[in-house]
Amino acid sequence: MVRKHTRRAAKAAFAVSFGVALLIGLTAFNGVAQSGVAGATKTVAKPTIVIGTKNFTEEFILGQLYGQALAAKGFHVVYKGSFGSSELANTAIRSGKMNFYPEYTGIIVLDLAKAKKFPQTAAATYQAAKAYEQKHGLTLLKETPFVDSDTFTMLTKTAHKLGVKTIADMKKVKSFSYAGFPECKTRITCLLGLKNVYGLKQVKFVALGSISIYTLLDKGQVTGGDGFTTDPQQNSKKYTALVDNKHIFGFQNVAPVVSQKLLKGSAGMQLESICNKVSSMLTINAMRAMDKAAYVQKATPKQIAHGFLAANGLLK
Amino acid sequence: MTGWRLADGGPVIPNFGHGSECLRDNGWLCTSWVRQHWGDILQPALVQHIELTLIAVGIGFAIAFLLALVGFRWRVFDPPLGAFTDILYTIPSIALYQLLVPVTGLTVTTIEIALVSYTLFVLYRNIVAGLRAVPPEVLESARGMGLTRRQTFLRVELPLAAPAILAGLRVATVATISIATVAAFLIYYGLGGPIFDALGQPDIFRTELLASGGLAILLALSADALLALLQRALTPWSRLR
Repeated sequence: MVRKHTRRAAKAAFAVSFGVALLIGLTAFNGVAQSGVAGATKTVAKPTIVIGTKNFTEEFILGQLYGQALAAKGFHVVYKGSFGSSELANTAIRSGKMNFYPEYTGIIVLDLAKAKKFPQTAAATYQAAKAYEQKHGLTLLKETPFVDSDTFTMLTKTAHKLGVKTIADMKKVKSFSYAGFPECKTRITCLLGLKNVYGLKQVKFVALGSISIYTLLDKGQVTGGDGFTTDPQQNSKKYTALVDNKHIFGFQNVAPVVSQKLLKGSAGMQLESICNKVSSMLTINAMRAMDKAAYVQKATPKQIAHGFLAANGLLK
Repeated sequence: MTGWRLADGGPVIPNFGHGSECLRDNGWLCTSWVRQHWGDILQPALVQHIELTLIAVGIGFAIAFLLALVGFRWRVFDPPLGAFTDILYTIPSIALYQLLVPVTGLTVTTIEIALVSYTLFVLYRNIVAGLRAVPPEVLESARGMGLTRRQTFLRVELPLAAPAILAGLRVATVATISIATVAAFLIYYGLGGPIFDALGQPDIFRTELLASGGLAILLALSADALLALLQRALTPWSRLR
């Protein structure tokens, strides 16, 4: 009795599990086939632009800004990829899996090209970044006026009290704390720069978890912190970013990294002029306003980009 | 859309609206946001997440089962196969993507290869352990009754191992639901998309985190409950014990 029971159940278990596995396997292959087709779109007069971005808000907005502006002029735009690291984005564009992504010039020079010395001007950073990309069949379009770099930000009243204006002034402060994302600790463009370039050995690092540096500053829990120049809070007089005379935070303008193939012919020239026009409008105030729309009003990157492009006549 | 231009002669900055009071205060669960974005953010992410999990566990189970048959039948292969699945489990997803992207591109396939390789670790060990746990005297009697090797496997060993195998399947499924968020390091796919989006903002976007993270937790709990029911249905004899 037990045996019979067992046998039937075993057969059922076997049949069901293999059936499920087979079914799922088939769906998977179906999915693979479909995504393959989607990737290989027909070549019309204008090339298909496959845009990737890194996976954070400002990059999503940038991707939508360039993408929607190009789509408005009849380019076929596909959004693909939201990368967890610049290295991954670099691998994807170099292997031809996408042909367009917005990147920060300083990141290209430091993290991708692994330059030992940081260029001392924004122009030199852009040139070094462009030279790196051109070695790999890619190039950089015009850069944005805005810069999104790290800062040494503190409450304005703390800066007054300590009597500091520049990062170098912090030398006279006996001990202070600086909050930043965990990776800040090992970066020359962040904590390591403060210690090694400015010689601020007395700094105590506070790793950020789920609270922004502005909240920590408001609560008086840290002296300073690693705010980004495009953070909407940087517009407020309440906070002050200390002057970085030695440029440890570098120059982080954004420029689209594109495949050189995309720039061929008249379509290529049109693409370049559209993107350059978009880039030229991305001032620090424009970017802060758009980041704020995402962070505070919780508008989606798509809505934000549409609003900005429409207001500036770039969707016509 | 109305907007303004700053004195510096830069671009027109449109008015992006005010957002609800709940959103401006970064409330823990602004229902208006959830309702507004159920259709374009949350629901698609949930469906994609279920798809990622089903494919990963399905293919993972098929591969792990075949590997386990080899490791069970020929004991020499068991340690290397076990070590192989261990090593796969330790590879960080971003590193794996670096290797796979030039070949499989920015596709669900790339993510599935990573997810499938993570399921093997739990599934392989459970299947082999389940098959090994069959008492020798039971096998002895099976042989005494004149059952062939194949009959013994299908009628005795596999049914007795079924509870352990299904337990492995449950662990693998729940683990995959949580690991599948790493898809969002490559393409905006699954619940990882909104979860990392919420985490990446200067002050965590609480509503989005709670809504998308909550969906992931609910999905894991329901999958676990469903598999527990399946386990009871497929191995009715185990309830007798």
